[in-house]
Amino acid sequence: MKNIEEVALPEELRYSADHEWVASEGDLVRVGISDYAQDQLGDIVYVELPAVGARIAQGAIFATVESVKSVSECFMPLSGEVAEVNGPLGDDPALLNQNPYGGGWMILVKPDDPAAFSKLLTAEAYRARLKGGA
Amino acid sequence: MSELLKTVLHERHVAQGATMVDFGGWHMPLQYRTGIVEEHLATRKSAGLFDVSHMGRFIVRGAGALHFLQHLLSNNAAALDIGFAQYTKIPNDRGGALDDAYLYRFTPDEYLLVVNASNREADWRYLSQMLSLFPDVQMEEVSESMAMISLQGPRSQTILEEVITGGALPRPLKNALGTVTAGERRILVSRTGYTGEPLGFECFLAAADAPWLWDLLLEKGAAPVGLGARDTLRLEAGLPLFGHELGKDPTGAEIPIFASSLARFAVSFSPLKGAFVGREPLAVQSAALKKIQAGDYSSIGDLPRIIMPFALRGRGIARAGFRVFRGENEVGFVTSGTMVPFWNAAGAREMRAIGLMLVDSRLRRGDPVEIEIRGNRVEAVAVAYHLRSEKVPVPPETVQAKPVLEAVIPAEEGIQGSGCRICPA
Repeated sequence: MKNIEEVALPEELRYSADHEWVASEGDLVRVGISDYAQDQLGDIVYVELPAVGARIAQGAIFATVESVKSVSECFMPLSGEVAEVNGPLGDDPALLNQNPYGGGWMILVKPDDPAAFSKLLTAEAYRARLKGGA
Repeated sequence: MSELLKTVLHERHVAQGATMVDFGGWHMPLQYRTGIVEEHLATRKSAGLFDVSHMGRFIVRGAGALHFLQHLLSNNAAALDIGFAQYTKIPNDRGGALDDAYLYRFTPDEYLLVVNASNREADWRYLSQMLSLFPDVQMEEVSESMAMISLQGPRSQTILEEVITGGALPRPLKNALGTVTAGERRILVSRTGYTGEPLGFECFLAAADAPWLWDLLLEKGAAPVGLGARDTLRLEAGLPLFGHELGKDPTGAEIPIFASSLARFAVSFSPLKGAFVGREPLAVQSAALKKIQAGDYSSIGDLPRIIMPFALRGRGIARAGFRVFRGENEVGFVTSGTMVPFWNAAGAREMRAIGLMLVDSRLRRGDPVEIEIRGNRVEAVAVAYHLRSEKVPVPPETVQAKPVLEAVIPAEEGIQGSGCRICPA
């Protein structure tokens, strides 16, 4: 397992306390799980994603991620409508481990409130939480 | 909260970057930096190294030892030759299991009983209480003074041979035992394991020598394997785990020992054995099982559910406790389920979702079922086994267990076939 200092947290992304990352892409945001989350989960072997068009509120479950040993739920970092899901994850869930911020992205969302993005944690604030034993 | 127990190899696990977890009161490695999938595959392809020192180890000796073991264990200890081990259960008087165990006979005058870590204290209490009923028996707990390291997989013998300087490895027979030396150090070795690999060894040695052996086996190329892959390996081999396939089911009801396919190798009704704890209910279960296998369900009430392997056909992972359906009828539930890696025919790595389920005894191999995963019914099929191994556990290195997808074979061939490590010696 990685030390907190080894966990990759790109500066341009925002994070939730539940270990999701969010990238701003114009009107949309892209969502996935952080390097810390994938490392904690271990080998990810199954991912269940929402349907395109689903409206999901902040804090609600949007996906289920299973490693060999455990089942984990992913919580929506901000309210919105699912515009696209990362289909290839279904056949290759290991992408979440290999490249959590690239090929391992999970959903593209049209947020209800475009300003919600800036209210999420910065990389620095998220890392501080992790150090605090979050 | 009480302090977690640590094996003599605890520092090694932490230094190797293992993810440590509480397992049955012990602080044990769930996985090393390599992860469960790599550790599983390393065992199947090469050799996996497991610290199993957390398991309970009791020495039983004295003129009355055999009588004591015959009364409290389900297998026939009188049939256990010197230099062999046998799989056994510690039955209760209702035909359920207090634990499952392995009984080793390295020397003529004493037996070594290895029990599950989670039951170690309860087993010790129970057996100690029973001691007073049997003259001339002594029990000694050696869980701390003696360590236990398991080396499993096609390269295990080659690796072990590089380490030993004297004595001989056990003969290439399932459950055979031997004593070897490495310089001044003495190691008891058995051809046993919990992975389904035809080639595999368990090493018993002085706790003080364990870090030395651990380091040396790693240096010779063995891969450290944590409890995560230990579970996926045993599940792929279809081997039961206490608390899942033995003991109590999720509703709190007792799982009959004969629900588990290994019971027929672990329960003896030999006249040599005579009366023992649980004999009557076990005989009733055994009779019911024979009838069920012959297609006669007149005694199904005595063994309404049995444990069968399943392969998931749909997407997802069926976890322990999930409900199993056949048509509209609920027929049981999953006792263990996971996803395991394997190499397909083309040599590429794949994953498959498999498990064991406790289901209506009328279910047959090849029968389709559905497993409820988070509200959705997912297709699965009852299978005979997930893994086959070569019959004779000898090198060359090509001898290894092979995954079998959705194996469906006639009932009479038995789920063990030749694939299981826990079979009669």
